[in-house]
Amino acid sequence: MTKSPWIVVKWVAIAAVLALLVWIAGKFAAAGSLWAVVGVAFIAMCVLAIYGTTRAVPLKYLFPGLFFLVALQIWPIIFTIATSFTNYGDGHMGTKEESVKYLIAQSVREVEGAPRYAMSVAVPTGADVTTGTITLLLTDPKDGATYAGTPDGLAPITDGVEKSPTGKVTKANGFTILNAREVNARSEDLSALAVPTEGGGIKTSGLSEAFVGKASMQYDAAADRMIDTTTGKRYLPQNALWVPEDGQGQSLTSGWQENVGLRNYTEALTNETLRNGFLKILVWNLIFPLVSVISTFLLGMGFALLFNDDRIKAKGAWRSLLILPYALPGFVTALVWRQMFNQDPNFGLINKTFGWSIDWLGDPTWAKVAILITNLWLGFPYMFLICTGALQSVPGDVKEAAKIDGASGFRTIRSIVMPLVLVAVGPLLVASYAFNFNNFALIYLLTNGGPFEGNQTQVGSTDLLITYAFRLAIGGTTPNFGFAAAISMFIFIIVALISLQGFRSTASLEDVN
Amino acid sequence: MHMRVYGAAALAGLSALVLSACGGSTGTATSTTAATTAKAAATTAAAPATTGAPVRDAAVDLVIWCDQDRKPIIDKYAAAFGAEQGIKVAVQVSTDVRKDFKDATNAGKGPDVIVGAHDWLGELVQNQAVKPVNLSPTDQAKFPAEAMAAAKFNGQVYGVPYAVENIGIVRNTALAPDAPKTFEEMVTKGTQLVKDGKATNAVLLTVSKTGDAYHSYPFLKAFGGGVFAQKPNGDYDPTKVIVGSPESILGGEQLAKLGKDGILSTNVDGGIVDQVFDAGKAPYAMTGPWAVEKAKKAGISYAISPLPTIAGKQMTPFLGVQMFYVSAKAKNDAFAQEFVTKYVTRKDLQIDMYNIGKRPPALTEAYTEVAAKDADIKAWFEAGKGALPMPNIPAMNSVWGPLGQATADIIAQKATAADRLKAAQTEIEANIVKAG
Repeated sequence: MTKSPWIVVKWVAIAAVLALLVWIAGKFAAAGSLWAVVGVAFIAMCVLAIYGTTRAVPLKYLFPGLFFLVALQIWPIIFTIATSFTNYGDGHMGTKEESVKYLIAQSVREVEGAPRYAMSVAVPTGADVTTGTITLLLTDPKDGATYAGTPDGLAPITDGVEKSPTGKVTKANGFTILNAREVNARSEDLSALAVPTEGGGIKTSGLSEAFVGKASMQYDAAADRMIDTTTGKRYLPQNALWVPEDGQGQSLTSGWQENVGLRNYTEALTNETLRNGFLKILVWNLIFPLVSVISTFLLGMGFALLFNDDRIKAKGAWRSLLILPYALPGFVTALVWRQMFNQDPNFGLINKTFGWSIDWLGDPTWAKVAILITNLWLGFPYMFLICTGALQSVPGDVKEAAKIDGASGFRTIRSIVMPLVLVAVGPLLVASYAFNFNNFALIYLLTNGGPFEGNQTQVGSTDLLITYAFRLAIGGTTPNFGFAAAISMFIFIIVALISLQGFRSTASLEDVN
Repeated sequence: MHMRVYGAAALAGLSALVLSACGGSTGTATSTTAATTAKAAATTAAAPATTGAPVRDAAVDLVIWCDQDRKPIIDKYAAAFGAEQGIKVAVQVSTDVRKDFKDATNAGKGPDVIVGAHDWLGELVQNQAVKPVNLSPTDQAKFPAEAMAAAKFNGQVYGVPYAVENIGIVRNTALAPDAPKTFEEMVTKGTQLVKDGKATNAVLLTVSKTGDAYHSYPFLKAFGGGVFAQKPNGDYDPTKVIVGSPESILGGEQLAKLGKDGILSTNVDGGIVDQVFDAGKAPYAMTGPWAVEKAKKAGISYAISPLPTIAGKQMTPFLGVQMFYVSAKAKNDAFAQEFVTKYVTRKDLQIDMYNIGKRPPALTEAYTEVAAKDADIKAWFEAGKGALPMPNIPAMNSVWGPLGQATADIIAQKATAADRLKAAQTEIEANIVKAG
């Protein structure tokens, strides 16, 4: 079927892709993610089966698309769903074992009055510096006595000991002293090491110092309790946190990640502030894109009709001017508008110009108006562009026929031009609605969801679901990704339903043909 | 298509915004504790969508993350440390160290050392991202007690401070030659200047529509209020929120009065404070060291003095401390500990850091030397005397938003001080419980 040179090219390409996948698999293997390696291997087999044989010709075209659909669309959705059933967020990032280990490590305090030893790190002569048993060569700052410290304890050494002016042992018979890089390479072993001594364990600090430290926290694995040995307080695991057994005082700082089932969903539905907020936000979230699409479309269409008229001179120049707001970065425009909406006429251009004292960004209603105005400014050039394009594709003979039939200008537009234009721009209006439904940047930059009414800071008057979810997840008090993921699922479902209905409606528009 | 274009523009825009906000001058977002916390939402918010965290350089022995401004100085000492130890040290710039560090460390790809503000501490401990720095008692004694207190969490030292910062009164000496002793004096003088057409604002204070807890705190503190009660050992107690306490309400009532008289306004945000002061249109600004550089550039002759009294009570600001942290998952822990305990405690490093940020050095020895020749530094330090460190417990994250909004609402006369602060207290307590 194909000529031999192309076969070579084909197999070279396949081999290159496979080599890339092997390299990626190697990276994943090094990171220890088994399932990722399996996934990559599966993809590699797909590549080989689809492109190496002639059995699945349609798949040859579909496979890249399918791959990216899964990687960029399906996977994030699955990940979000999975996250929504966890408590993933601040203080709940790691595993329970990690939290136990961390809490104990953090509780190591320097024993008051204990010496700070000058220290060198060594291994017994003959042992490998990367694996040999670590021995700390310690010099007591008070009397200059030198010791070898191992997990078994301290033993005095004198044999062939030489010291630097700071007291650090530089040479000792029977030991190979590690250089800085070698010491650093064993950081992990050093963190785990505590040379038992009176009142605690000798721990290293940096490259040349050691101190006597004592951990105040202990873990009782049998009872599954954390114990603070200084106060005797016991902590039990509850809701992914270590909570005091006696119910008095705070829980320990660091918790762990765990599955919480439907808790995030039930909380979103039952918490009164959130529920009221959710409904309020949802209503505004439905109105905002609708009004935005209609207003931008009407203004854009108006301008498009105006500048489609042959009586207008220098149309190109006018059109370029009208596209300017679209050409400027939206964020700059939003920030400029925010400044213009300042209530104080010293700073706000709008109130200054009109002599008003409207609290644009502080009053819930006016803030909504301010957002709609800004979005009108930002959005109408786009509508102007697509309407101009659609208008120019309306055949001249149809309009001429309408004219001959005696239709007025308005009647021609309403009954002939608009239906034809709407067929073309209908899907774009739906897309515009979906885009504005999640228009995060505008809200975030202009009002950040505010103003906040009713003595709270969770639900703002101009919040969209997306800015609300963002505040819950990252921008707010304590990031709670699990809860935000649950809210995202609600948004996902709502947007999907609206889009579905929207596209059905536009399909009916096409019936005019 | 439309969505993509717009989305890309927004992303590009946001990242440019973050870059300009963070890298612009010595006094902006990431370089000030005040701004970092007060604008916590802003900085953390813009970042995730936009800024890529630096990728850890795998070929080096020690990796340090800091912001753009401090990189040259840290580079210098990193090079010296590298030469001394015979190792390679990389200093990488992150536009949002706090968030990038948390995420990267969580994924096992973080740096060994970061440079940041002390109020990140609780959150970083909560997420198992930082580990104690074993600074010897002798070295700890080289810093003021307040600075060391700020570097501690649960009594454990987690960082080595290099600078302190706080707000004070920056006055335009052309309009107000004398340092104000009382807030009332500032109001009288300022109002007169506004009446004479020489100024547009009597006193500048960052409020904004969503409020600013950092800048409003001194009003509550003056009457014995604040955010959290302290435990006997000086630690803040997250179970005792005092935002709605009678003392805090007294402070809130002052805010209400100043709002009613039009001295303070939610129309004034951080940008406007700088804009008006730098235009010479206000005699007093209640702000921090980050504002000075800009005022200097604008040719304003200024002087710095401590916060005055209000209704006879002394106002004190929050103390912020800038410091070096060691990552809990540092791949090069020994080098990291060595660098942070041995190099950051050096006088020359602290003085070089002062030259970049113009904040009082934390090391007493370095401060004494700098204060002898820089009157501004001395003035900032004096203005911070008696100030308590900004709380570094994770529960503080539940405070900024609600307290800020409460002060904004009080100033805007939307609610009485008592009602609004009590409501804020309820909300903060609920948030803390929810956060665990």
